[in-house]
Amino acid sequence: MKVLWSWLLELCDLDKQPTVEEGAKALTRGGLEIEGVTDLGAGFTGVVVAEVVGKRPHPESTKLTLVDVITERGGAATQVVCGAPNVPEPGRKVLWAQVGATLPNGMTLAPKPVKGIVSPGMLCAGDELGLDDAHSGIIVLEADDPTPLGAPAQRALGLDDHLLEVNAPPNRGDVLGHLGIARELCAALRGRLVPPDANLADHLGDEGQAMTVTIADPMACPRYTARRLDGVKVGQPAGMLARRIAHRLRAVGVRSISNVVDVTNYVMFELGTPLHAFDANTLKTGEIRVSHARDGEKFTTLDKTERTLVPGDLLIRDGETGIALAGVMGGLETEVTAQTTRILLEAASFDAKTVRRTARRLGLHSEASSRFERGVDPQLAAFASARAAKLLCLVGGGTVQRTLADAYPGTSGAATATSAPAEPAVAAHAMTPGSTTVTVRVSRVAMLTGAALDAAACTDALTRLHFAVTGTGDVLEVRPPSARNDITREVDVIEEILRMVGYEQIVSTLPPLRQAPGVREPDRGDAVRQALAKAGAHEALTYAFQSAERQSHLGLTATDKRAQAIALRNPMSAEQGVMRTSLLPNLLAAVARNHSHGRPDVALFECGTVFLRRGESATDRPLTELADEQTWAAGVLAGKRATQLGTGVPYDAFDAKALAEVGIRAICGQHVAITTRASKGAVYLHPGVAGELVVDHVVVGWFGEVHPRVRARFGIEAPVFAFDLDLGKLPAAGPAKMQPIPRFPGTSRDVSLLLGTEIPAARVAEVIERANQPLVTGVRCLEDYRDGKLGAGKKSMLWSIAYRAADRTLTDAEVEAAHEAIVGSLVENLPAERR
Amino acid sequence: MSDLSATDVTIAELDAFEVEFSRVIAPLSDEQAIRGAQAQFLGKKGKVAEAMKVLGKLPPADRPKVGAVANRIKATIESEVARRLGELAQAAAEADLARVVDVTLPARPVPAGRLHILSQVRLEMIEIFAELGFVVADGPQIETDWHNFEALALPKDHPARDMQDTFYVSEDIVLRTHTSPVQVRTMLTQAPPIRIVAPGFVYRRDDDLTHSPMFTQIEGLAVDEGLSFADLKGVLLHFVKRFFKRDLGIRLRPSYFPFVEPGAEVDMQCVFCAGPGSACRVCKSTGWVEIGGAGMVDPDVFQHVKIDTERYTGFAFGMGIERMAMLRHDINDIKFYYEGDVRFLEQF
Repeated sequence: MKVLWSWLLELCDLDKQPTVEEGAKALTRGGLEIEGVTDLGAGFTGVVVAEVVGKRPHPESTKLTLVDVITERGGAATQVVCGAPNVPEPGRKVLWAQVGATLPNGMTLAPKPVKGIVSPGMLCAGDELGLDDAHSGIIVLEADDPTPLGAPAQRALGLDDHLLEVNAPPNRGDVLGHLGIARELCAALRGRLVPPDANLADHLGDEGQAMTVTIADPMACPRYTARRLDGVKVGQPAGMLARRIAHRLRAVGVRSISNVVDVTNYVMFELGTPLHAFDANTLKTGEIRVSHARDGEKFTTLDKTERTLVPGDLLIRDGETGIALAGVMGGLETEVTAQTTRILLEAASFDAKTVRRTARRLGLHSEASSRFERGVDPQLAAFASARAAKLLCLVGGGTVQRTLADAYPGTSGAATATSAPAEPAVAAHAMTPGSTTVTVRVSRVAMLTGAALDAAACTDALTRLHFAVTGTGDVLEVRPPSARNDITREVDVIEEILRMVGYEQIVSTLPPLRQAPGVREPDRGDAVRQALAKAGAHEALTYAFQSAERQSHLGLTATDKRAQAIALRNPMSAEQGVMRTSLLPNLLAAVARNHSHGRPDVALFECGTVFLRRGESATDRPLTELADEQTWAAGVLAGKRATQLGTGVPYDAFDAKALAEVGIRAICGQHVAITTRASKGAVYLHPGVAGELVVDHVVVGWFGEVHPRVRARFGIEAPVFAFDLDLGKLPAAGPAKMQPIPRFPGTSRDVSLLLGTEIPAARVAEVIERANQPLVTGVRCLEDYRDGKLGAGKKSMLWSIAYRAADRTLTDAEVEAAHEAIVGSLVENLPAERR
Repeated sequence: MSDLSATDVTIAELDAFEVEFSRVIAPLSDEQAIRGAQAQFLGKKGKVAEAMKVLGKLPPADRPKVGAVANRIKATIESEVARRLGELAQAAAEADLARVVDVTLPARPVPAGRLHILSQVRLEMIEIFAELGFVVADGPQIETDWHNFEALALPKDHPARDMQDTFYVSEDIVLRTHTSPVQVRTMLTQAPPIRIVAPGFVYRRDDDLTHSPMFTQIEGLAVDEGLSFADLKGVLLHFVKRFFKRDLGIRLRPSYFPFVEPGAEVDMQCVFCAGPGSACRVCKSTGWVEIGGAGMVDPDVFQHVKIDTERYTGFAFGMGIERMAMLRHDINDIKFYYEGDVRFLEQF
């Protein structure tokens, strides 16, 4: 909401006039955040009001005029060269940018010869002062302009003013007009609200024709008032008042349309009540009806668009014919035009949700609809109508009929009202309490705020906001102003009290610890994150959504749940179209990005949520239940690991395996048995360099080299190694239990084997374990050697087996016996030859 | 003169070993050779032992004398060995000390990964709130409309829904727009007293220098008998001081969030400048920067989760973790957080 500082001050009676900064601060402190203050006149300096006292053609050019101007009555005239075609006759005032003036385009004026005659500055056009794009001529002030000579041009242009950008909370429909904000400012600074003049005594015409207003659904339209004006002349704003109205509207961002429309807009910005003016000559019946549209009913709005309505939409009707879409937009047929002489002025209040739904459905958001959507005070309608009628008479020269048709079923109970004589002076009901009564306990105020506020303090705070308060003990009966539709409960009133007292007045206390905090399982993700970072990878965070295309880069089969990503209905772009089902695509994209930055060596991991469909829900159906959100950890390694000297050691699949095991051990404990087997299931991995990790007979993750085709899709040219772990599948370890420290020395024996290359190391370890020799305490592979000289399909492996007994020093003989038994089993079961 | 007695012969033989040993050992320069020479003379089958074999045949009266000579020879040889070994050890020690390593060569790299700055900040926040008795709670990121909006006093037609532009998965399922649904889930399953913090990712259709469509919030909720706005202020003040490790002030300004009343925006003193008046792009020279929203839990929310609004009061607050990290670590563009750029990640 844009607020003009001069307009706001006009509605306040303050003991000491605040600066705009003080005003902004007071409003912000009270909860109306001022997001910006703009000095409207900041665009230029050194431009003054001057009067033309003489003019003659430039001797060298027919297009140029020499103009004599003065800046004080009886002062010496200065000759300025002017190229505009509209230099006025002597006696009119223009805006003279003197030597030294600065203009919005950054120019500083200096004396400048124009066709041989030096001009001390220039007479300004609108575009030169940044006011508009018009360069058809210089600005000539109206003949009745009261600005004194020599005054800054800002004053004549209404630019010695500030514009405040108010961030109005969505529940505060009452501050969408200057009056509502003035009420806040007066409350904050203990001033008095001054409602604008709405006295119609000087403008009354005859009784006029009787009119009836009928509201079919008082829930949808709590109040509707209609008033007729006669003899109005519609036209461009003329005269000081009309020009000031147009100027103020421009300042708050509204285009001037005609004197009549400008007035309705002006009152909307002044009071917050949207108004509508119908051309009364186009109305056929004397009956205004407010009722819902029929399904499929057609209606053409002001913007010349035919709309098809639904029963939820609310129409204003002339008899049966729709003439306005309530609160959203008027109809084309009844629009005020240059020919209009009689006006039917509507001031009403419509249900917020009704207006919101219609505006949304039709995509018709207007200044009016945005106000109705937050709630417009029904009690203010008659006052707004009077205020607008007065201004219409002042700028359009008409008279107001003496009667007002006012259907206000909320208070009178009647949904139909016939026009009746109205008082010329209508009370500004924004300042009077509405019909809602809220009971407030002073003890509850103190309890909730933590401040010792008594009944007097509460009453003072509320009275400043025009709340009516009765009662002096613990229980106060409070009636908020009718405009404050956000106040319905005790807690709402407590907030009002608190913001008037000032949030800063509340001390800071720490609540006592009443109970030991609950016990929660440690976060698996964080345990894994810490371990992986310690193991040398950087943690990355990437978006939980990605493009469907990127998702498909992994090449998962269609039946894989991870290929059935959950799509967003309204993504910001296709790049963020589906929820991720794997952490790898975004990590691989990060590798590519780092490569493009000239960082070939990358070790990244991410630990986060992937989103899978539950059950069998198919991809083409909307989700009907929440996603299966699983926590996974994944990592990618590309380039080299740093070494002390040299250029580093290239990462390989075993670095990925190491990180995967670190992740597993972070959850399952140091001593968990992890077995590995070659994997064919991970289609995004190189078929010959892919392993799966098994804990407790469950596959918990994969590692290996990323399939060259997959990485090529990400634009990565060098090998990448990766792992992927489903943290939810990892069995959590309990606290580690101490094992006895060995008291007797152990020993070890090596065995060298010649065996087929197809036999994996894990098989060798398994055979050793199955030999079930109780003295064995450890098995290590020392060497995996491949050479054609060993024979086709053969490799040589060197293994070391450690032996120890808990209760004695082993003899050579026992060690030999155990070792030979194991070797025998290896030779027989792998099979292998002993070398 | 009679012939030399057998005793005299043996003694002479033993005496000769002394000279002989000196001759043998003189050129030797390593421990093994010296020990070998020692064994040659003093070993079980060494020269001294061989010479002493005759002892049993000597007159008993002479035996002590011969024994004494043998012991002297043994002692002489042993001390000579010890002396020579000592010399060798010393020479070796001196030679070792002459070794020079270029200690200015770089250290051997140890694995050096980093937690993401947002993880570091999140863990630190959890720890600070844990000191005040808040435990971590969580909830799904793909959330029902009811938990994300309705139960937080944001019904379908509520204008405040416009404040948070929402990603929809289906008609009634959204990407959560804030961590506040965790409040609802907690209050539905746990009776007061409640004290939780809920960090997590949230999603809004917004993307510019300071907004990311995905970002991290941390939500706090306390529900108990007698909790007041002053307690909310105290908790936030404690947090800001601990997190920034400075004696910063906070300021609460009235504001509107449908699920709290009274509601507030939370500002803290600007960490970048000297306060109002100094030119500061972070606080726009106001001296205050906004860090989140807070307030007393709205009775409507309590009614949705069936908590007695007369007996219990509560407060809630929410902050953006990115924002807190930006303020503390001078990060000037939110996009860095989610790009996986190693040049960024390795800095923290």
